[in-house]
Amino acid sequence: MGYTKEEKAMIWLDSFSPEYPKKAAALARFRDPYKLAAEFSYTPWLKDVFGEKYAAMKESLEGGEYLRALLSSYEEKGIRCVTCFSDLYPEELRAAEDPPFILYCKGNVRLLRERRFAIVGSRVTRPQILAKTEEFAARLCERFVIVTGFADGGDSAAIAGALPSGRVISVLAYGLDHAYPASNAGLLRKVEEKGLAVSEYIPSRTPQKYLFPARNRIIAGLAEGVLVVSGGAKSGTRITAECAFNYGRDVFAFPYAIGDKTGEGCNRLIKEYAKLTDDLVDITSAFGINLSAKASEPLSAEEEKVLAFLQEGAAHVSEIARGTGIGEGALPALLVLLQMKKRIVSCGGNRWARC
Amino acid sequence: MLSKVASFALVGLDGVPVVAETDINNGLPSYELVGLPDAAVKESRERVRSALKNSGRKFPLSKITVNLAPADVKKEGSAFDLAIAVGILKATEQLRADCGGYVFLGELALDGALRPVTGLLPILISAKAAGYKKFIIPAANGEEASYLSGVETYAAGSLTEVIDHLSGLAPLSPLPVKAYASGGRGEYKFDMAYVKGQATAKRALEVAVSGGHNILLVGPPGTGKTMLARCIPAIMPDMTFEEALEVTKIHSGAGVLGGAGIVDMRPFRSPHHTATTVSMCGGGTRTVKPGEISLAHHGVLFLDEMPEYHRSTLEALRQPLEDGVITVTRAGGAVTFPANFMLCASMNPCPCGNYGSADRVCTCTPAAIRKYRSRVSGPLLDRIDIQVEVDSVRYDDLASTATEERSAEVKKRVEAARAVQRGRFGDARTNADMGEKELKAFCALGAECENILRMSFESLRLSARARSRIIKVARTIADMEGSETIRPEHILEAVSYRKYDNMA
Repeated sequence: MGYTKEEKAMIWLDSFSPEYPKKAAALARFRDPYKLAAEFSYTPWLKDVFGEKYAAMKESLEGGEYLRALLSSYEEKGIRCVTCFSDLYPEELRAAEDPPFILYCKGNVRLLRERRFAIVGSRVTRPQILAKTEEFAARLCERFVIVTGFADGGDSAAIAGALPSGRVISVLAYGLDHAYPASNAGLLRKVEEKGLAVSEYIPSRTPQKYLFPARNRIIAGLAEGVLVVSGGAKSGTRITAECAFNYGRDVFAFPYAIGDKTGEGCNRLIKEYAKLTDDLVDITSAFGINLSAKASEPLSAEEEKVLAFLQEGAAHVSEIARGTGIGEGALPALLVLLQMKKRIVSCGGNRWARC
Repeated sequence: MLSKVASFALVGLDGVPVVAETDINNGLPSYELVGLPDAAVKESRERVRSALKNSGRKFPLSKITVNLAPADVKKEGSAFDLAIAVGILKATEQLRADCGGYVFLGELALDGALRPVTGLLPILISAKAAGYKKFIIPAANGEEASYLSGVETYAAGSLTEVIDHLSGLAPLSPLPVKAYASGGRGEYKFDMAYVKGQATAKRALEVAVSGGHNILLVGPPGTGKTMLARCIPAIMPDMTFEEALEVTKIHSGAGVLGGAGIVDMRPFRSPHHTATTVSMCGGGTRTVKPGEISLAHHGVLFLDEMPEYHRSTLEALRQPLEDGVITVTRAGGAVTFPANFMLCASMNPCPCGNYGSADRVCTCTPAAIRKYRSRVSGPLLDRIDIQVEVDSVRYDDLASTATEERSAEVKKRVEAARAVQRGRFGDARTNADMGEKELKAFCALGAECENILRMSFESLRLSARARSRIIKVARTIADMEGSETIRPEHILEAVSYRKYDNMA
């Protein structure tokens, strides 16, 4: 995979991780990173832009050894740099505010060429919503590549749903050398293997709190639409939805009951501009697409009875037993079977809900 | 004059014969006690002196040398008082009767009364095995000694009674041997009938006890986890005489018997989470005493709020859970204590305790929950076959007048299931004790079961290590139903007891 000279210059510039406005200002004056690099040493005002980094940057330009080492280290790590000059760079992303100059990619970069849909959620998400998210991601990835973050909860559920098909892009808020939360490192390896992990930061950049809101603009920018599955009043998912709305993308949100703190943000989005979504049709109709029918396993009469009872919301085992007339002795086995068929989920405390 | 009187020392849970040799010589009045005595043994001199005086005998004004042989075994405690006193009486010829064949055990009070000693039963059992037939013990230890047959045990209230018995003035009659009544005399304080609702957890407890499986109760604070755990002994099968004797031996050695005679109720030990590894597994500076896991032998060890225990203390449980014994090694030597217990642990589902609650919101982040749960290591969790959720009690359940099943009913079913297992293994082993070989021989799965198991692993993301546990529990559930083969519904129920695996 060869890079053009502009791209190489871009990668060189970015490797010093200058702040975005400085990078943008310098590039705006030259219009071309190659020219910037070529004239770097003779342009004294760049000293004011890059400050103390200037000396090191100037030194690294001599001999070309620095760039060679940089590129080979990326190649060793399996990182592909998709710059804004590349054909792979998604057009939709250019519409975003402050589009990243480089997307550091690990995995199947061809996914950047396909239609994309974002599913985001908060870390605190109820089990039945997680199951629903997983199902939506699994069904939607038939037509879209699923774009999401990498947090626990909603994001992980979206990844879990789309990962078997490999059609998933996880946008990270830190360099590809890291994994946050660390306990999900194994999951990140799988995403890199089957799907694609993307970051606008150089691989060594460590996770920082303030990087996450900026990352959300990329998720919104990459996708044709965003589904917000959960989020409190102050959740970061709101930022993603806000960006998507500003970029003219469709925003979808799951509705929540009054007083449910895990979904206050979703309800507010619906009040403002998001489309209330409780069925896949809500999403597919907006894009004029069809999904293949879900192959559902046949259910026994008793299983149907339990599902019908749970229609009214989550219930405790003893309530299910009373409501359906199935003995408490036989119920655990039945519930596990339904759980395996992905029709119900355990909410903890021996309570179950439909998904 | 020289005299020799037999006694016993306790090392671990075994008695070691000790001879108290007393020699009276002319010379300046003195009292020399040799044979590695500890402070309590050394102080016997003052007790013996006063006890002799107050029993109307004389403490000789001569040079007295007492040797507790063998001289290289450390002697602890006050049980040698009686032997030393009798030895002095004989050496001074205040007592002319023959004491051969008797073993003397007991602590003396200053007024000559006999006080109880710890570890009497293990000493008697070892002594009987070594061929000793006649024992003189404190009356307060009579209860615990009376279950041992084939020996003559005389329980005396004071030194005077001992002297009168030996001299034939007022012979005591040997303790009548009590027959062990299986079922016990006592009533367990806690009964399943007191726990309202919680059908899932109760069923899980029944399965756990039926197959000897360890169990983890997960639930918010104040949901009755402790109450449920305390019900376990009441639904366990009654102890056999051999089991009861073994338990009594340990409790006697640890000094926690409290004059109870034989322990005929299943022990229930719930050490606080500040417990140290030594208090849990046994140990001590000089003599090695059994720890909580041994005191819970043939009973229940309950660890309330398991993640709060010290990590090292929990890890120390792994080996005894597997082997049923613990070998404690100290500078003084190694001692093996039995530790075959059923582990029952409880924990909150998350740091705030509200995870899965119907009406309260859990404020924990997934990372915090993971951190909390990781305090209990995987290898330890692996040894717990059944994980079940205990949910918040609802008002309707508490107020309901519906009668809950009593422990006695549950126990009957448990005993039936255990009978099936006895038939299978031919000994007291349970399904939980099965190894790979037994799994193959007794837990063959049909194609349908195999299918369901595979499906459950895929869709519920269970860890592969859970497989043999699920099969063992399914075997128990099948046994409870009297089913020869494991059927799909048994597998499914067993899978439902892996809550912890797929909760995070």
